[in-house]
Amino acid sequence: MEPSVTPGQTVKPEGSKQPKKVLCIEDERFIGELYIRSLNKAGYDATLEVDGAKGLEMAQSNKYDIILLDLMIPNVTGIEILRILRDPAKTPNFKGKIIITTNLEQREDVRQDIEKQADGYIVKAELTPNELVEFLNNIA
Amino acid sequence: MSKNSDYLSRAKRQYYITLFLGLIGEGLVLIALWEVLRIFVHPLLSNLFIGLILGGATILISLLWANILTKRLISPVQALWQLIINIAPNGSLPPPNIDALKIGRELVADLSSQVLQLAGNAEQHETSHLSTDLSRNFIANNLPLPLFILDAQETVVFANNHAGDYIGINPKDIIGKNFYMVMDMSFPSEQTLDKWLKQVKSSNATSTTSWERVRLNVLDNHPTRLFDLAAYYNKDNPDKQETILVAFDHTKQYSQDDQAVSFVALSVHELRTPLTLLRGYIEALGDELSGNASPELQEFMLKMSATAQQLTIFVNNILNVARVDNDQLQLQLHEESWSDIVTSAVNAISLRAKVRGINIEATIAPELPSVGVDRLSIYEVINNLIDNAIKYSGEGKVIKVDAHLSNDGMVETTVEDFGLGISPSIMPNLFTKFYRDHRNRSQIGGTGLGLYLSKAIITAHGGNIWVRSKLGEGSTFGFTVQPYAKLAAEVKNSDNKEIVRGAHGWIKNHSLYRR
Repeated sequence: MEPSVTPGQTVKPEGSKQPKKVLCIEDERFIGELYIRSLNKAGYDATLEVDGAKGLEMAQSNKYDIILLDLMIPNVTGIEILRILRDPAKTPNFKGKIIITTNLEQREDVRQDIEKQADGYIVKAELTPNELVEFLNNIA
Repeated sequence: MSKNSDYLSRAKRQYYITLFLGLIGEGLVLIALWEVLRIFVHPLLSNLFIGLILGGATILISLLWANILTKRLISPVQALWQLIINIAPNGSLPPPNIDALKIGRELVADLSSQVLQLAGNAEQHETSHLSTDLSRNFIANNLPLPLFILDAQETVVFANNHAGDYIGINPKDIIGKNFYMVMDMSFPSEQTLDKWLKQVKSSNATSTTSWERVRLNVLDNHPTRLFDLAAYYNKDNPDKQETILVAFDHTKQYSQDDQAVSFVALSVHELRTPLTLLRGYIEALGDELSGNASPELQEFMLKMSATAQQLTIFVNNILNVARVDNDQLQLQLHEESWSDIVTSAVNAISLRAKVRGINIEATIAPELPSVGVDRLSIYEVINNLIDNAIKYSGEGKVIKVDAHLSNDGMVETTVEDFGLGISPSIMPNLFTKFYRDHRNRSQIGGTGLGLYLSKAIITAHGGNIWVRSKLGEGSTFGFTVQPYAKLAAEVKNSDNKEIVRGAHGWIKNHSLYRR
């Protein structure tokens, strides 16, 4: 019974020669580091950002294919970032996929926004870093 | 009936007392006459012969006289008693002959007609005593417990004042409505009020039963109610008043238990981040060590991982029970491959089994249709069932997991262990909250929440969960989930929003959230 993503295995996301760029906006540095490590090992080009404001700026640069977005982050909250990125007036031509990562129950309005505007949603406590990689492989 | 026979025996006693009093009356009159004669006639008794004749004559006359008097005086009363005993159920005396009365015939006839009228009323009352207007019944109305009476169609025919207060609706607005519309209740077990009523009605039995921890799903702005419910069904009652229900409120006590769960959930939530980290590091460590570690080190890694996983199951159970209790368990039903889900869930937990020396054998039928499930919740169900199987395996070293299509077109999965088994007496309680097999409570850990939660999750998926077990031979837990096609058809036919992403995507239709 082997785990589905074997250690050290390199997964090339289909249809692209360039590794996919992932931005992980996550203030829980340890968790962020674990995610980055697994993603990079699996062939992604992943970057960690612990500050909300800086994270938003980076995401708006439109350099990233996938944004992993924590909801509880300092300065600008995840849900604000989500709204700004999805607002064409504030972020024109945004093309990245946004995956919300959280451990919390959401208020109804927040939940609705996530459901409308995000491309995916994961509960951090439910996934190990390797399982996160597997999840992203599927969504790409 | 016991009341009637009681009245009858009392009436008979009165009748014989009247007869006896009549006899005493006769005796008294006789003695009185004898005294009169003795005092006035005594001086004349110089001659024994005359004395004897006079004495004899006096006795005869007084007997006759006394008899006539007593009969005339007592007989009207006697006649009335005779009448009463005659009309009483099982009455044994012949009806009195009122015409034979010399004194008080009019009075007796008059009284008799009144007695007959009363008896007529009583009889009417007897057969329909329940259909009297309870709304004017002081006791029923002011009973400090919510009381409902339902007719054969389960429509409320009576609700007392307290019932109205209890559910926050005017009793007058309850009457005439279907009971289940008035009281939206969640029962802690499979046996719900409607099922029970169906049973007793079909078997035409008079029966009583009760439930603990019934929850009233209240309207907005009204506090939640938790209560025990007692039900009495009497087939002999007229159709209009077949079922009587009384609620015993335990909101305070029961909600304290629930609050305890909420508090624990709040605390346990804080465990999630460190636990996530711990699992992440264990995984990373495993990656780094893979292939290079000694067998002992590898085993330690395995055990560490299994332990962290066990803790995760525990934390998730607590959090989800709190969600179920607050009606916040939300499912996002996606199209998933069932064989993938079962395989990965089994793979994940097989570590834990392996540590205990147990092997999990999974058999998945080929070409199962894709299913519509909430992946994480379903993982929890499989986890809980296998976790239980591990706990209760005893000497058993194999757990069999089998996924296949059931006869009714659902996807069924069974988890079978060959361990301790479950005693039939506790089977009905298995899926209730906090329930744990008392025999094993001290030896086997657990919160008594796993099966309760599994059931809530499966029910919310539109499936079923069941158990079959033999003491000493092992248990099989099984559950069903819906094929995706069936679910999608259900969504299309309802007012729900469309499926946003089809093909191999997920139903981004959140009105599919179920509670």
